[in-house]
Amino acid sequence: MTQKRNRTAFFYILPCLIVLGLFVYYPLIMNLVYSFQSFGMSDTTREFVGLANFKKLFSDEIILTSLKNNVLYAVISVIIQVGFGLVLAAVLEDRVFQKFSPFFRTTYFIPTLLSMTVVCLLFEFIYNPQMGLLNSFLELIGLDGLTNVWLGKSSIAMYAVIAVSQWQSTGYVTMLFIVAIQKIPRDLYEAAEMDGAGKIRQFFCITVPQVKQMFFVTMVITVVGAFTVFNEPYILTGGGPGTSTMTLALHMYQTGVVKNDMGYASTIALLIFVITAVLSSIQFLTIGGKEEEA
Amino acid sequence: MKLKKYNVLAAAVLAAFALTACGGGSETASNEGAGSGAGGDQIEIDFFHRWPNDPKNAMFKELIARYEEENPNVKINMDCILNDQYKEKIRMIVSTDEVPDIFSSWSGTFAQEMIDSGNVMDLTSVFEEDPEWSDTIAEVSKGPFTFDGKLMAIPWSQDGKAFFYNKRIFEENNLEVPTTWEEFIDVLDKLKAAGYETPIAEGLKDQWAILHYLGTMNQRMVDPEVLAADYDPATGEFTDPAYVDVLEKWQQLTSYMGEVAVAIDHETARNTLFATEEAPIMYLQFAEISLMTDTVNFDYGYFNFPAFEEGKGDPNALTGAPEGFMISNKAEHPEECIKFLKWLVSPEGGAVQLTVEGGDLTCVNGALTEENALPAQIEALETIDAASQMAPWFDNACDASIYTVFGQGASAVATGDMTPEDAMADVQAAAADLRTKQ
Amino acid sequence: MKDFSARKRIGIGEVIWMILLVVLAVLIIYPMFWIVMSSFKDYNGIFQDVWGLPETWLFENYVTAWDRGISSYFINSVIVSAGTILGVVLLTTFAAFGICQMKSRLADFCFLAILGGLLLSPQVCLMPLYMLLKNLGIKDTYLALILPYIAFRIPVSVMLIRSFFIGIPKDLEESAIIDGASFFEIYRKIYLPLSKPIISTVIIMTAYYSWNEFVFATMFIDSSERQTIPVGLMVFSDGLMTNWGVVMAGMVIACLPICVLFILMQKSFIRGITAGSVKG
Repeated sequence: MTQKRNRTAFFYILPCLIVLGLFVYYPLIMNLVYSFQSFGMSDTTREFVGLANFKKLFSDEIILTSLKNNVLYAVISVIIQVGFGLVLAAVLEDRVFQKFSPFFRTTYFIPTLLSMTVVCLLFEFIYNPQMGLLNSFLELIGLDGLTNVWLGKSSIAMYAVIAVSQWQSTGYVTMLFIVAIQKIPRDLYEAAEMDGAGKIRQFFCITVPQVKQMFFVTMVITVVGAFTVFNEPYILTGGGPGTSTMTLALHMYQTGVVKNDMGYASTIALLIFVITAVLSSIQFLTIGGKEEEA
Repeated sequence: MKLKKYNVLAAAVLAAFALTACGGGSETASNEGAGSGAGGDQIEIDFFHRWPNDPKNAMFKELIARYEEENPNVKINMDCILNDQYKEKIRMIVSTDEVPDIFSSWSGTFAQEMIDSGNVMDLTSVFEEDPEWSDTIAEVSKGPFTFDGKLMAIPWSQDGKAFFYNKRIFEENNLEVPTTWEEFIDVLDKLKAAGYETPIAEGLKDQWAILHYLGTMNQRMVDPEVLAADYDPATGEFTDPAYVDVLEKWQQLTSYMGEVAVAIDHETARNTLFATEEAPIMYLQFAEISLMTDTVNFDYGYFNFPAFEEGKGDPNALTGAPEGFMISNKAEHPEECIKFLKWLVSPEGGAVQLTVEGGDLTCVNGALTEENALPAQIEALETIDAASQMAPWFDNACDASIYTVFGQGASAVATGDMTPEDAMADVQAAAADLRTKQ
Repeated sequence: MKDFSARKRIGIGEVIWMILLVVLAVLIIYPMFWIVMSSFKDYNGIFQDVWGLPETWLFENYVTAWDRGISSYFINSVIVSAGTILGVVLLTTFAAFGICQMKSRLADFCFLAILGGLLLSPQVCLMPLYMLLKNLGIKDTYLALILPYIAFRIPVSVMLIRSFFIGIPKDLEESAIIDGASFFEIYRKIYLPLSKPIISTVIIMTAYYSWNEFVFATMFIDSSERQTIPVGLMVFSDGLMTNWGVVMAGMVIACLPICVLFILMQKSFIRGITAGSVKG
């Protein structure tokens, strides 16, 4: 009886496993196979080249540039989205701002809803060196000296690209923290206040430890996001000027699709996989832990 | 209420699958059609091109409707996808049985690749048997489609790239059209002195715009034999010092393009700098003439890329290439395909419309008159006709892994992040990598 | 008592924060407001007067955008999203139900195998997926997007639905079994009707994901007739660069469905993004 039931139950799970296996796990394995091969998109045969792609990976200067950019992306995103996002969430949850909080948190969340294409096209208008909002605003308030060709200088283009993600995603992370803070028992704060603790102390002694788990989760989301970032540099700069705004995912795409070198592109994908899988495992474990509690 | 919701959802999904089936099934449908055509009187032709955007897509639709009306026994199944995807898709199917009866092709290495599949029909006899029609096709557009003495495609359009200049500004500053690099730089300096902050406009965000310059400059500077060997994936080295010269000249040229050049695209540069008379010179394709009718209200002329004194290439070559249509030798009704294409490439068919509606220059001599075309377009045809030879676009001349790196290097040279030597070292590494794969 | 009054006191810190909050809100709202305003202007209106309101309100920009291609991208996105949603809801409710019903170690294994998909970023599978779809002959069809989208939404959706199913009281089910209900009837008559809230959350998250997804849509679809709105918008803006007002009208149209969904179902939306904590 139980066995028959188990078998029926398994048939309910099977379609999911097949789809997942075919479109997620199978490509993952094939990616590993491809990284030892050399072939183009329309080739019918694939040539085994041993470790040649890996050798290339370690001597490729664009990989270094990309890694550097991805790390920069991660650091800035963690500081602004996770760090500042947490502070912002704490402020919005403070009683003083109770009345305005729903308005602000909804407002901050809206950019998350917009598709990346729309956000990037919007920032093309903002950064436009001829009529862009940013430059005309700087001129308007008399800071002409600060106007710049935001996406055209290799020294600042990457920061300009990173800023787009901060604009879009900070509200999302803030929202996650708000939900976490709302779960903290109010009497903890009341007790702290009785003891004469100021708001800053309350933040560090109650809020931060209580949202530790969400902190982990957002940290991983942000860092994994930073290491797989593709849309922003693809749309805004195409990796340029030169290769100054290249990221791993964009480099992979250009190698595979533009330069028609699928084998080496798969090797780059493998590098992204190793980095993100390690980071995601942390998230995996924290979510797992959270679920047990619930 | 609940039921309704599910119904809507189900309908949407059904629609999704139905439409998918249509997308995938077009080939089978046409095969069946061809089968029935053999027995009956209806003939189907599969026609595949690379212009899914208007106005050209609308133009083709209209032309095909007209042709089908005049020839009720013929049905033309048109399919199209955009440039890069087109390249990839046609590469994939050209060597299979799915090869379309008629498909569009670039000249040069791309055409060679198509021909190497063994599925492209030799059209030499078509041209020989009907001199009345074939003599109207511009000679200069036949050359790039001639392989081993055989004509492998019917040319359709032609294009070239030249420096367009603002005649008023040139006159006001007593400037002559430059013919050498030194004269050119001199003109740029004088324009700068006259208060034009960006004497030459360009949008360097588009890599193809950079590549168009580099293609021409390489052709002008490098020994033609060396260049041919370097563009061949099997022998490319890019060690000739002339390439470094090219990038140095490129660096010099970009210094006249203004700060914003690196952050805008080609079209923005044309509309906001050249069309507004802020920048007097811009390197443009003849196909762009029709795009400027609304925005440009001044007289402009053009001159070919100036010659380098130390250059080893032909200084009178013009960068640009024709495009044409190939016929598969697996086509079931080759004579009908030829008939359709001959009609398409004639003043009665699409030749005039291509220029008037589509904006590209037709390769049919005499199709354009002062009544139906812009004066600049007729002048452009004369310029192409007068060129000693056509030099292919850089991104049609060599492998993508070379021109991508070359273009990225040139972009970094323009912003001052890389020296020409370093940029060439990257290209050499890419070339070495490509050689080992051959 | 003194402390409680202190909590509501407004000091200099609160004022500074209030200013900061307002500035941030302006930074977020103004650009979006600017797009909407500019979508009613023509080229000169935008270029020569960046900040101003439209002199004449060009509603026809929206008509032009719709006619010049946005309509087809929009419909494609609707089809792809609907297909993905239906697939995800069917597959994941089945799977979650199966996992809850199975009384063996295999259930844990299956659940882990499904959750493992969370570890993967879509970017990692890009090249092999491309080859796979090509070999299956479904590249450049709607299925080329729908199937991978479903696959990548499975892990988080199963996770959400399973944790909801676990909370459904067992006695309902037991009495149904006594009444002779079949396996499928338990699923359809008990589990499915009770889990409407979580299913609506999954639907919203899936819609959000498939409407805005960009990388797969760029790689797996070639024909402009089948492109979805995020990619179509790029083609659209390339082809119409001078007509900025129309491009921005297209941008507004592209954002509308998800924004409307958010306004209508804010609660489910926020539950979705926080419970999953996985950005689409």
